[in-house]
Amino acid sequence: MSELLVLASIAGKRCAFRASDVGSVIEAGVIAPVPRAPKHVVGITALRSQAMTVIDCRAAIAEDPSIYPCESHLAVVEVAGHSYALQVDKIDDIATAQSEPEPVPGGSGKHWNRVCKGMLETDRGPALLIDIAQVVAGVEQKSAKAA
Amino acid sequence: MDDLLADFIEETREMLEAIGSEIVAWEANPADRARLDSIFRFVHTVKGNCGFFDFPRLEKLSHAAEDTLADVRNGRREADSQLVTAVLAIVDRISDMITAIEGGQELAEGGDEALIAALEAGAEIAPMVGQTPSPAQPADSTTAGAAAPTTAPRSIRLPVELLDRVMSGVSDMVLARNDLAHRLKEAGNQPTVDGPFERLSSILTNVRDAITRMRMQRIETLYTAIPRLVRDLSADLGKQVMVDLEGGEVELDREMVEMMRDPLTHIIRNAIDHGFEPPAERLKNGKREIGLLSIAARQAGNKISIVISDDGRGLDEERIAAKAISTGIISKAQRSKMSREEILDLIFAAGFSTAEEVSSVSGRGVGMDVVRDNLEKVGGEIQVSSQPGEGTRFYLQIPLTLSIIAGLTLKSGGQRFVLPQSYVEEIVRLRGDKGVIEDMGDTSLVTFREQRVHMVSLADVLGVKAEVPRENANLLMLRLATGDLYALAVDQVQSSSDIVVKPLPPAIMSCGIYCGTTLLDDGQPILLLDVPNIAQEHGLMSETRALSAHALMDDEPVVERAVDRAMLFSKLDGHKRLVRLELVKRIETISAAAIDRSGRECRAVVDGEILPVIGIDEGAALGGSVRLLRLTDGSSEVLHAVGSVEDAVDLVDELVSVDESDPLIEAVTLIEGESIALIDSHKLFAIHGAVPRQAATKTCQLPDIDWAKTILAPLVEAAGYVPTIDAEADIVITLDAVETHSTAKPVIALRSAPDDQVEPGQRNSSIYRYDRERLITALRDASKGEAA
Repeated sequence: MSELLVLASIAGKRCAFRASDVGSVIEAGVIAPVPRAPKHVVGITALRSQAMTVIDCRAAIAEDPSIYPCESHLAVVEVAGHSYALQVDKIDDIATAQSEPEPVPGGSGKHWNRVCKGMLETDRGPALLIDIAQVVAGVEQKSAKAA
Repeated sequence: MDDLLADFIEETREMLEAIGSEIVAWEANPADRARLDSIFRFVHTVKGNCGFFDFPRLEKLSHAAEDTLADVRNGRREADSQLVTAVLAIVDRISDMITAIEGGQELAEGGDEALIAALEAGAEIAPMVGQTPSPAQPADSTTAGAAAPTTAPRSIRLPVELLDRVMSGVSDMVLARNDLAHRLKEAGNQPTVDGPFERLSSILTNVRDAITRMRMQRIETLYTAIPRLVRDLSADLGKQVMVDLEGGEVELDREMVEMMRDPLTHIIRNAIDHGFEPPAERLKNGKREIGLLSIAARQAGNKISIVISDDGRGLDEERIAAKAISTGIISKAQRSKMSREEILDLIFAAGFSTAEEVSSVSGRGVGMDVVRDNLEKVGGEIQVSSQPGEGTRFYLQIPLTLSIIAGLTLKSGGQRFVLPQSYVEEIVRLRGDKGVIEDMGDTSLVTFREQRVHMVSLADVLGVKAEVPRENANLLMLRLATGDLYALAVDQVQSSSDIVVKPLPPAIMSCGIYCGTTLLDDGQPILLLDVPNIAQEHGLMSETRALSAHALMDDEPVVERAVDRAMLFSKLDGHKRLVRLELVKRIETISAAAIDRSGRECRAVVDGEILPVIGIDEGAALGGSVRLLRLTDGSSEVLHAVGSVEDAVDLVDELVSVDESDPLIEAVTLIEGESIALIDSHKLFAIHGAVPRQAATKTCQLPDIDWAKTILAPLVEAAGYVPTIDAEADIVITLDAVETHSTAKPVIALRSAPDDQVEPGQRNSSIYRYDRERLITALRDASKGEAA
């Protein structure tokens, strides 16, 4: 309805975050990689002396990040007391939701089903509403601990 | 007790404040049951508390009020305005008394009975009731007088969350300050900005210290709950246990206090449930009926140690072993090789719990393994010792604070990491030496202090490529809480600093390599390595205890160092010198008074041996104590006084011979860009070396004349002998003796005639009694002859 959304494209798809979830949008600074971390963890970065974990949303949805170029804006969210900066293809705009989230007819695929709470209409067309907690959790880690 | 009292006062104050409005409302409507209840609760609580503190007047007052209010609650009395006024007068009185108690004063006697009487039913008391404010009046005036001294320690209560916010705000400010400092430095010198910035900087440091202190809490907060816990548990289990708490004033970080709560509770529960015998059994075993559980906290450096001991039956080694075997923690074969300590240590093993049946008290879910895990997570450790029949002791060690630790920054694979410095035992720089690292299959061993130590490369752990070849890596010798030592090879060791650790999200924690993050001075985030976890993941714990290289020596020689090493130190005059490391036996610290500077050569007695001391300039003032390098060539020893001992260094640069006036200097070499003189080992011992002599153990027989006693004896004493006239002495000094002694002991013959007045033959066979030098030489030779 009149809920504000942050529109972004993830792996070429139009997606939406609840504006209330997104603390700010920042320009990526130096990102220190985290060796042996799960794939979707890009690294850690600092914003105004606060450390946060950079998550690649594309990898979190088991898409190949290298296919999609991404710009340097990160969406800062907080999940369970930890700050994360979400990396997407592009952060587009702010839009107003024109409907309640509804299930996507026929589903949106295994990985997308996991991270999205349904689809909603915006003035830019339909967008998938992203569940940030699921994105941050990443793909089920099978090989993360392979030594 | 004082703190309990403070708590009591605080609590009563708070309740008084809270019921202030209730009282007014109750006065307006005495039939209001809810108000009545809260006032009843107040007087009830006060009564309960002051019974504990021995405030009879306070107790009497609150008791009377409670009785009256109870009657009203039960409908036996009406809450008329008279009764309300009387109760309020008592509440006021309680308030006054609390103020008086806080000020450490007695409230003026009298008036209490009138107040209590006013509670009695009956209209005839009415005039009294009218007066009730007046007895309170003098009380007011006394307290007003007392008000001034009362104000000493004022306190407020704050939500902990607010404190945390301030703390994290200050931490961020420090980081922002560092960032700004960085930028200012880049911008160059700006006197108008630099001054104020410096000031800001130092204020911030102070604030940070204060905030850190604010978060400190007395361990007493943990203690307060213990007596009750012990009472309830021992009552439930039919045991009698007395608690002795010690060191409640020790302060530690609030987070740490919380962290300690569960382990402590668990250990206490275990002690009462399993440790203490029932009273009858205790009596039978000749113990006091009442068991003693004592908990003592102590601060040592930046650690707190807590010892929890009970005088119960002690841990049953056999039962623990049997249990460990039945649960598959150890095999029977392993059991037979284990010492008692090792078996007792099994109670911390995962999946271990001795309670044969789960009782209502202990053995529910958490075991000692969880306790140890939780402690280790915060950098603490736990150990147990126990004597059968005598009791059990748990030793806990925890760091003072969780959030600020000393960290060592290092670099591997082009990326910086930090690890807690407390693990680092030593840093070893490999300088391309082949053969220091031995590959045994997939395992690499490194020789460190004649031990073969398991080595892992941080780059391998991280799955990145090391930038420095292995032979040139830096090795961090890491000592785990379990006592295991392993070497972590890193590309570079950078610096150590205090770091503020922030938690990591679960996705990164799950790697098992990191346990936190922090920001460096330049604002860059950096990961904190989880040292114990890395060790565990790589099989470096316990089963791979370092092998002693001595055991391997038959097959291969111990790897020799390719370069000479030297000890870098500053002399008392501040000049730096090097001395070959092999010569350094140890570093001694003795009091300046123990150095005898009267002779040509200084001497000192160390461990009952007299040794020459060099490095002290004549007339140089010495402080209270002097540090000495004890140098040895195997037999001779010499002490070298030093201002400070800097480090052990490798002699990698060329040694350049110099024409020095100081005969003790062999050469000059470069150490980190500074040219430093190396002490000539050979000359050092040739000139100064002396075989250590047992101080005051050898006796020297002197002629029984006054000259010997007053003039010779001190000289002999200074040379390390006990002068005596006893014929059983180790050496003999004779004066003008006619002819020889046939004894086997060394004899020093003195004569009264100067050298130029005697014949040449006599000149050598005896010494002129004032020829000090020859005499001392003779004494020294005699002692060397003895020692050999």
